Amino acid sequence: MAKFIVRRLLLMLLTMVIVSIAVFVITEAAPGNVARNVLGIHITPEQEASFLAQTGLDKPMPERYLSWLVGTDWRAASKVGMPVRQITTEDGFKEWWAVEEDGTLIQWKLEGEDLIARRRQPDGSVEETVDNGRWRVKDPTVEMERLEAYRAQLLENTQLTEVDRQAILQQLDRTLEILRGEDQTQADLLAALAEPEGALEEMIDPEASRKKDALQEAADDLFKKDELLQAIAVYQELTETPAGDLKTSDFQSMSRRVKKAADKLEGVNPTLANQLLEASESLKAEDIPAAKETLSSAAEALSDLTGAVGDFADTLQARDYQGAAAALRNLSDPAKTPLDTARLAIMPDQFKKIRKTLKDASPEMSEEVKQAYESLEAGNTEAARGAFARAADFLDETAQSIARSDAASQARVARTFWGVDTQNHAVRWEKGTGKIVWQLIPGSGWMAFTGGPAEYIPLQKGLLRGDPGVSLRTGRPVADLLFTRLRNSLVLAGIAFVIVMPLALVLGLIAGLNEGKPLDRALSIGGMMFSVTPEFATGIFLILIFAFWLKLVPGATVFGEKAPWERPDMLILPVLTLTLIELGYVLRITRASMVDVMKAPYIRTAFLKGLPYWRVVFKHAVRNALMAPITVIMLHVNWLLGGIVVVEVIFGYPGLGSYLLESALFKDFNAIEGGAIILVAVAVGTQLLADIVYTFLNPRIRYA
Amino acid sequence: MTVSEQTMPKAAPRPSRLRRLWEGISIIFASKVAVVGLIIVLFWVFAAIFAPLLTPYTPTEQDYVAQNEGPSGAHPLGTDDLGRDIWSRLIYGARVVLVILPIGEDFWIPGGTAIWGVILGLLVGSTLGLMGGYLGGWVDEVVMRLLDAMMAFPVILLYMIIIAAVGASATNVVLAIAIVGTPGIARLVRSLALDIRTRDYIRAAELRGENPWYIMFVEILPNARGPIMIDAMLRVGYAIFAMGTLGFLGLGLPPPSPDWGSMVAKGRQYILSGSPWAALWPSVAIASLVVGLNLFADGLREESLRYQ
Repeated sequence: MAKFIVRRLLLMLLTMVIVSIAVFVITEAAPGNVARNVLGIHITPEQEASFLAQTGLDKPMPERYLSWLVGTDWRAASKVGMPVRQITTEDGFKEWWAVEEDGTLIQWKLEGEDLIARRRQPDGSVEETVDNGRWRVKDPTVEMERLEAYRAQLLENTQLTEVDRQAILQQLDRTLEILRGEDQTQADLLAALAEPEGALEEMIDPEASRKKDALQEAADDLFKKDELLQAIAVYQELTETPAGDLKTSDFQSMSRRVKKAADKLEGVNPTLANQLLEASESLKAEDIPAAKETLSSAAEALSDLTGAVGDFADTLQARDYQGAAAALRNLSDPAKTPLDTARLAIMPDQFKKIRKTLKDASPEMSEEVKQAYESLEAGNTEAARGAFARAADFLDETAQSIARSDAASQARVARTFWGVDTQNHAVRWEKGTGKIVWQLIPGSGWMAFTGGPAEYIPLQKGLLRGDPGVSLRTGRPVADLLFTRLRNSLVLAGIAFVIVMPLALVLGLIAGLNEGKPLDRALSIGGMMFSVTPEFATGIFLILIFAFWLKLVPGATVFGEKAPWERPDMLILPVLTLTLIELGYVLRITRASMVDVMKAPYIRTAFLKGLPYWRVVFKHAVRNALMAPITVIMLHVNWLLGGIVVVEVIFGYPGLGSYLLESALFKDFNAIEGGAIILVAVAVGTQLLADIVYTFLNPRIRYA
Repeated sequence: MTVSEQTMPKAAPRPSRLRRLWEGISIIFASKVAVVGLIIVLFWVFAAIFAPLLTPYTPTEQDYVAQNEGPSGAHPLGTDDLGRDIWSRLIYGARVVLVILPIGEDFWIPGGTAIWGVILGLLVGSTLGLMGGYLGGWVDEVVMRLLDAMMAFPVILLYMIIIAAVGASATNVVLAIAIVGTPGIARLVRSLALDIRTRDYIRAAELRGENPWYIMFVEILPNARGPIMIDAMLRVGYAIFAMGTLGFLGLGLPPPSPDWGSMVAKGRQYILSGSPWAALWPSVAIASLVVGLNLFADGLREESLRYQ
């Protein structure tokens, strides 16, 4: 017996390993894009790359499977050179810290170009100190290659003025000279590099990155807030996103955005406005081909209408500031941009929206833009054109300072450092490469940072140590939610089970005893109808009858922070739905088994011996008749799980099933995999249990 | 073994084909349950085939002034949240289930999505089952372990992962139904093959030197058709069940195609605000079709057991 159980357990383990690999491969090999689900469909490729790096999704699949299984902290520890440890804070958050030799917990962050060490004090507070001493010069041979390649780029950089270029080249050549020297220690290198780097440092405008951000933000604002550009963007999304990736909520937002553009154009260009209105309706109905057709002609008219303003936004977003200045000059040239009534009606609004953000980049330019749209509103196109031209000049100036700062900061030798950041990654920071990364800042969304981490190892303990990772959808550990959801599902299934079993067995026995009579026909046909009707249909019928027409019980479950048993009234309908479905199945099996047993020779013998009817039924038939249903029910758990998922979705019940579904639709890998493992463990575990119970009940198998 | 004595008893002349066909059909009429089931199924098949003649609306036509309305003269079953006629969406939905399989935007092949799912499952499942049951040995061992692993997988999880992985479309729904149905079919066919391969005519074919594949598909499979067909009928029921569930979970055919499950999922949001029709009718439709199929299959099985 023991041997049998051990063998089954081993087989179960093997099944789970295969299943985990299968789930991993299927979900990961799938097309579609988790970054897009997390960040929305508007993300740029750079944002996507940053996201994938930070979540560790850019690594090859076998490596990720291993990390998921056994964790990454041991690998991170060897990179950082200190042990790393997960702690739970007083607020219940899980945080990763590196541990210094004296046991102090330490993390780092980057502020500007300074490395800041954050040491956690025993009372939970954090003390921050500048910790630039930990920077190391990156491998000189690698850096030499990079700088030489950069030198070639510098010669072709059209955004730089000749004077700046020469000054930077001079320092760059000195740096390369120093790097060529052999057998230098870190200290030697640092000392030798101080001089050329100091000179480069002086060329860097400390405000440059802020200006860049402001210009970027202005472009984003223009795209986000301008109704017409939004309508064009909707068309692009519609043509570029595969139809399957679009959800109903996406369509609704697209429809709203197009509608806004239509409203905007109502008095200006009625034909175009009507076209947009039509497209908005097709989007609402999720009719993609119709929407595409109407939008394609509308988009052309729209881009013609937005013209130079659209170019301005495009070039700004692409960080091509000279192009943006050219677009502004375009506006000042009557030959290129005729300021007709339609444009006059639209343009002032467009520029009004970005004046504030432009102020951060260049106050002078913002002032000119203001003058331009004010003149436009007053109908003075001459003055407006002049103001646009002057704004373009100021933009050129800003562009030069940004270009100089960028070029100088990239000409420095990069510094690097492996540490633990504040968002549970082990990261390699790099100073001086000008790399831009996007980071999720709680409360303000994704923001761009210059000089961010160049490499990430997301820290996790691995499934084998009870940590299925962090949910991509919520950003919280999967384990937190998974177990609450599992508990809720177990409550639901448990109650249904307790009700179904006795009821179904008794009804099944009754039907079996009355084989062929009307009572049996009614019970078995009724049972069949309930068991084959899809759960969602049964659920809808019950909601309609008990919640909608009779108004007896709530038709949905809303628990908030409460546990399901604190609101028993909300449990009634979900439990009833599950009960009806399982009832029919168990009933039919019990009936069939009872019919078989009642025909068995030993029952006939018992009757012929003259035993009373009920005595034969209870003492001889029932015990044997129940054997089959009890084991079959265990094997039925697989189906039951499916029923639970659907019931949870119908009633909005916060269980494991709905969690899995949401995660699957979202491609939240860690959550799907964690949930799938639990589900499979439950399914395989009950099958194992069924086997064992059956061997106990049936001695013939035990000794076979 | 005395083959010659046994195989050629002096039987009555074989009845004509037409007569045998009639005898087969008359089994159905012997069972009231089967007749009721057949009528329900035929109703839906009829509605699906003649859908364009039975409604003046197309399933995606919207009526902006009549949203979420109850049954009326213009819309016999009412309208959904976008003012689309529910009756026309129901019967066009039945089309996708029973009569056509939409593959591309304007391209479809005859045979419903549920039907093709079962056919594909039958193809793969019978092949695996025949190989396991007839060839035996290590082939059987490998096939059985594979089937066990597939069966250990919760069906709903398999659906979710497959569809989430490959995206929602009619072809992928067919694929998912087939993958999930395969192990059950394979087990059934295997057990039938295990029984049939001991018959004398299989021995005879082996002695003739027939190819094992010939024996599997020409000798064994046709002789196992009875139970397989009844099982397949039940499986069409499961497949419709599965299609509805997938649609309901948002994993079915992409909108705006009329899909019963997703109609329920969308209509559900409007029940508590007072418009139950959009959720009620598709639920009734799917429940009646599935129950009809099961009544039919059940009655048929009971009758055929009685004659054995």
